[in-house]
Amino acid sequence: MKLVLENYLLIFCIAITACDCNVSPYLKIVNVDRLIDISSQIVKVTNKITFQNAGSDSVSHFVFTVDPKVIDNVAVIKGRISDLDVSLSVSEISVENRKAWSIKFENPLESGKFSTVDVYYAFIDYLKPYPTKITQNEKQFVKFIGNSYLYIPYHVSKVTTSVALGTKNVESYTRVEPVSYSDSHILYGPYKDLKPYSFHEIEIHYENNAPFLIASQLLRKIEISHWGNIAVEEEITLEHTGAKLKGPFSRYDYQREPESGLSSVKSFKTVLPAMATDIYYRDEIGNISTSHLYNLENSIEVELRPRFPLFGGWNTQYILGYNVPLYTYLFTKGNNYLLKMPLIDHIFDNMVIKEAVIKIILPEGSHSIDLNLPYNAERLPDSLHYTYLDTIGRPVITLKKTNLVEDHIDNFELRYVFPKIFMLLEPLLIIGFLYILFLTIIVYVRLDFSLSKDEDTEQKLRVCGLCSRVINFEHKKLKLYQSFEDKLSALKYNKDLNSFSVNVKSFNSEYKSISAQLSELIAKLKTESPDIYEKVSELLKLDKQLKEIYSQQQTVYVEKLIPGKINKASFLELENGFSKKKEDNLSRINKLLKSIE
Amino acid sequence: MSAFKITSVFRMSGDKQETVLKLAVLTIAAILSFAIRLFSVLRFESVIHEFDPYFNYRTTRYLAEKGFYNFHNWFDELAWYPLGRIIGGTIYPGLMVTSASLYHISRFFNITMDIRNICVFLAPLFSSFTTIVTYLLTKELKNTGAGLVAAALISIVPGYISRSVAGSYDNEAIAIFCMLLTYYGWIKSVKTGSIFWALFTALAYFYMVSSWGGYVFLINLIPLHVLALMVTNRFSNRIYVAYSVVYCLGTVLSMQIPFVGFQPVQSSEHMLALGVFGLCQIVAFSNYVSTKLTGEEYEILYKNLIFGGIAFLGGIGGILALSGKIAPWTGRFYTLLDPSYAKNHIPIIASVSEHQPTSWSSFYFDLQSLVFLFPTGLYLCFHRLSDANIFLILYGVTSIYFAGVMVRLMLVLAPVMCILSGVAVSSLLSNYMKDIDSKKMTEKKSKKSAENESELRSQVATFFVTGMSAMLILYVYHCVWVTSEAYSSPSIVLSARAHDGSQVIFDDFREAYYWLRRNTPSDSRIMSWWDYGYQITAMANRTVIVDNNTWNNTHISRVGQAMASTEDKAYEIMRELDVDYVLVIFGGVVGYSSDDINKFLWMVRIGGSTERGKHIKEWDYYSPTGEFRIDSGGSSTMLNSLMYKLCYYNFGKVYSEGHKPPGYDRVRNAEIGNKYFELDKLEEAYTTEHWLVRIYKVKNLSNKGS
Repeated sequence: MKLVLENYLLIFCIAITACDCNVSPYLKIVNVDRLIDISSQIVKVTNKITFQNAGSDSVSHFVFTVDPKVIDNVAVIKGRISDLDVSLSVSEISVENRKAWSIKFENPLESGKFSTVDVYYAFIDYLKPYPTKITQNEKQFVKFIGNSYLYIPYHVSKVTTSVALGTKNVESYTRVEPVSYSDSHILYGPYKDLKPYSFHEIEIHYENNAPFLIASQLLRKIEISHWGNIAVEEEITLEHTGAKLKGPFSRYDYQREPESGLSSVKSFKTVLPAMATDIYYRDEIGNISTSHLYNLENSIEVELRPRFPLFGGWNTQYILGYNVPLYTYLFTKGNNYLLKMPLIDHIFDNMVIKEAVIKIILPEGSHSIDLNLPYNAERLPDSLHYTYLDTIGRPVITLKKTNLVEDHIDNFELRYVFPKIFMLLEPLLIIGFLYILFLTIIVYVRLDFSLSKDEDTEQKLRVCGLCSRVINFEHKKLKLYQSFEDKLSALKYNKDLNSFSVNVKSFNSEYKSISAQLSELIAKLKTESPDIYEKVSELLKLDKQLKEIYSQQQTVYVEKLIPGKINKASFLELENGFSKKKEDNLSRINKLLKSIE
Repeated sequence: MSAFKITSVFRMSGDKQETVLKLAVLTIAAILSFAIRLFSVLRFESVIHEFDPYFNYRTTRYLAEKGFYNFHNWFDELAWYPLGRIIGGTIYPGLMVTSASLYHISRFFNITMDIRNICVFLAPLFSSFTTIVTYLLTKELKNTGAGLVAAALISIVPGYISRSVAGSYDNEAIAIFCMLLTYYGWIKSVKTGSIFWALFTALAYFYMVSSWGGYVFLINLIPLHVLALMVTNRFSNRIYVAYSVVYCLGTVLSMQIPFVGFQPVQSSEHMLALGVFGLCQIVAFSNYVSTKLTGEEYEILYKNLIFGGIAFLGGIGGILALSGKIAPWTGRFYTLLDPSYAKNHIPIIASVSEHQPTSWSSFYFDLQSLVFLFPTGLYLCFHRLSDANIFLILYGVTSIYFAGVMVRLMLVLAPVMCILSGVAVSSLLSNYMKDIDSKKMTEKKSKKSAENESELRSQVATFFVTGMSAMLILYVYHCVWVTSEAYSSPSIVLSARAHDGSQVIFDDFREAYYWLRRNTPSDSRIMSWWDYGYQITAMANRTVIVDNNTWNNTHISRVGQAMASTEDKAYEIMRELDVDYVLVIFGGVVGYSSDDINKFLWMVRIGGSTERGKHIKEWDYYSPTGEFRIDSGGSSTMLNSLMYKLCYYNFGKVYSEGHKPPGYDRVRNAEIGNKYFELDKLEEAYTTEHWLVRIYKVKNLSNKGS
């Protein structure tokens, strides 16, 4: 069912384009100014075309074609209203089985009206070095073969072609009168009254030392982490496609002579987003230490120097990566997210990318992905990416596109839904892992896996357990004493015998219960470990003494202090004696406790 | 009254306190031993160091990518052109298998760690394990205290760090761990006589065999221990069980490693183990018989058996040796017994700096205060002799001998130094600490008579403990300093200080290798001195004529001859070897002293050591006064050799240092003697930024017409 629907859509599309590709016979070109810039490795052509509608019906679009020779090299084509920054929509069509473009006027051109548009296109991989091999100290010359007219399916009244060379050093150029040469420019024309598809070949042989650097492979990975980071990594294969180096490479000449290796590439600049941090520059054998970073106002410029200078025919490969904060490119509303960032980014000036593969890695758990591209690109099958703490894998969108230039640096829009609850998955995994780890250790330590019984350690453990219980009870007792002490001192002031006797009763009963439990433990200890038993019985003895002191003190309080049968001095003396005894006793108890711990 | 409140909160029984302390010390030691090895990663980057590790890294990557069976059957055509190398049968795979398994395990848990990072950090990781194993071993030999001290000492001992910093991805990185693990198992099995522990030892031994050729030390030390126990009349059923199981299983297991093959039953290095195994049976048997017979009968039987046995074994051994079944001693092994052997006979072994005899200073440099603690530890071992202690003594004494013979074996010595020092420090400290404590105790009780004595004791003790602590603190400082200064440079990236104090990085090696990788035909054959072979195959991915696996002397000699000959003669050799590019290391511009000119005499010696290189004589390369010179006073053979020309091509025009004439070599501190010459048969293909690496292309034969 879906397939059928797609077929329908396809037919529908064809139908639409079909109606867009007819060449209106009434459209005439009054004037064309062409500017061909061949000073870099890219041929950039700007045609300023003035159309006139000689027919009676309005015309909505015109068809633009380029010479059959270069048609496969065209990387980009753009239309806009001349002198205004209003771009026109361009769509690819086919005319007489050849590739062509249909460009829409902003408003349909009425009968008899004029309209001037700029059509800009760039083609790559076209300038050929000639000679194809040069030595290190020679300059690079290239040949350009072009059209002095305009190859277009309309009648052209007048055309002038200006070629910008960027050099004064021209070996030869085709003369098609009228032609003039001045200061790095060659001007052809004006030529008048040309038929549709007129073509006159011109050939220019001139010096061009611009870096003929192309990125033959670009693998760009964009990895989004909702913890606040977008990691971008570009793996780039660079190739110098200019005249090949012939003969030896002399480091001496290269370092001494400024004229040596003019066409070679020593370094180049890459512009990164202003928020880029943690920039790294490496290749498959490690870090490349030759790079500089410049912080500009609204971008970061990295000067990259390959490990070795690139001469014609040489190539290199490197990886450049950086992090950008999430908020620069990601927009959100609830669980819906919109990622808006450049599909490709700047690598070097006048760059050419032969083939780019772009991978967008979304966070684990995102779905309902909707991609909107600024231009056509092949979408390869989606895949999953697994990295640290992943369970179900991160969705990866892969795109492929060939022949890209700087004009292709444009934003894509990617909408997806990411339930925020997935953010908790990773911390939970760590917590769960640690929990299980500790649990297993606890279980392992507490369980005895040995086949034979180890009497010694078991007994030791038993004694240990008994000891710790004894210590517990002793501590309870000490606490009881402490509270008893408090009550005694309270009695000293309020002289409330009644409440005191109640307290004493409860104290006694508690003391008794603890003592009973203790004696039970001690009985057990006697059989387990005689020497600890000795210590514990000493402890008990000391404890009894302490109790004795307290009861003496109590007697003094109840029988002498409260009725007032004692004078202050002798009471203080008695009190001091008590406290000294208690302290002494306590320190011994503590020492004993420590020793059995 | 508040005294017991505090204790009730932090109440912990003595056992628990000890466990906590133990765990804390061990954890800290383990973390420290990992952390101290990261200097180079922090200063430079996570990169593999030196030469051999590059081969290990390359093979590990192959193993991780292609799987074990492909690895096992791998014929490496990049090495030793045109001979190639069967990787599976010529390496100890333990290291690679370990890292590849770690890699796959972490992949399984979606820990996407790079194989390179696993290789870089494997050595520090295993050092942490070593720390723990050292603790266990020392605990078995002495007590927990000694174990903890030994663990702390080994975590930072420079002798071990030198071969296990991050990036030093070599067999030794895991072998020391395996070795100590085997020892631990052995001591355990000697102590308990249980088959379980003997089995454990055999497995640990198998791991050891799979990871390092140094296992030979182990398989001689254990029999030696057994022998010593027999001689001292300590032989018992425990030892019989332990050794029989370890030897039988261990030998069978070790023969599973293709590189080891039948050596354990054939080569003379393993004969001690076999002999002791036989002896064990005889002794055990005679012990058994002696319980059944009267003394007189036993005496007769004993004598007959001994003489008969010796005659029989000698006969068998002689026949086997003559028929070539028992492999002859290898050169490296002779060097162990006679340090001057290699120097006189095999230049290729002598040319490796790590095979040189150790100097006294390097003992101190690598071990510092352990050198002084070691004898104390030995003394303490003798003091209370036991089966286990005898092992420790043997281990200490033999390894100190071997370490003296070969610098490289310092590595084997370092652990036993730590163990013995641990024993010494722990027993000394625990003795003297008691005396410090005793001061308070005696203070209260007696006033007059004991006071003076105890005062003195306590003063001595305080002095001693302070001194020991100072020694240990100095040890830490020394270790950190050595690690940071001497053992933490990757040698693939060089760094220097500029005049303004900023760091300058010379990354020329990788520049050249990467140039080769990207810009030469993928089947090009590169000729260089063998030192750089592994790096070229790993980083440039190109075929080399010779590499660091120096198994074929004639082939290396051929390369040495090419380097030592004139350009025309060398061209013939290079055509014969199908060389496309020649790579030389030249430090004259930046002053990098371990370059090819300084290694040149070894090339001459090795080149002249074979039949085809007879005409190359070392003396031709010296000046008439007998010096090795590159200036105008040098011999003409030297100034016209290929190596000289390749290094100094175009250098005559370079101003390398101010106020000096052009062509001033900053390593040899001389102006070169042969400045303006051209090369006919080779052309400069690439020279790195600082001229460190120079690559030349060998031209094709000229056309017939021209």
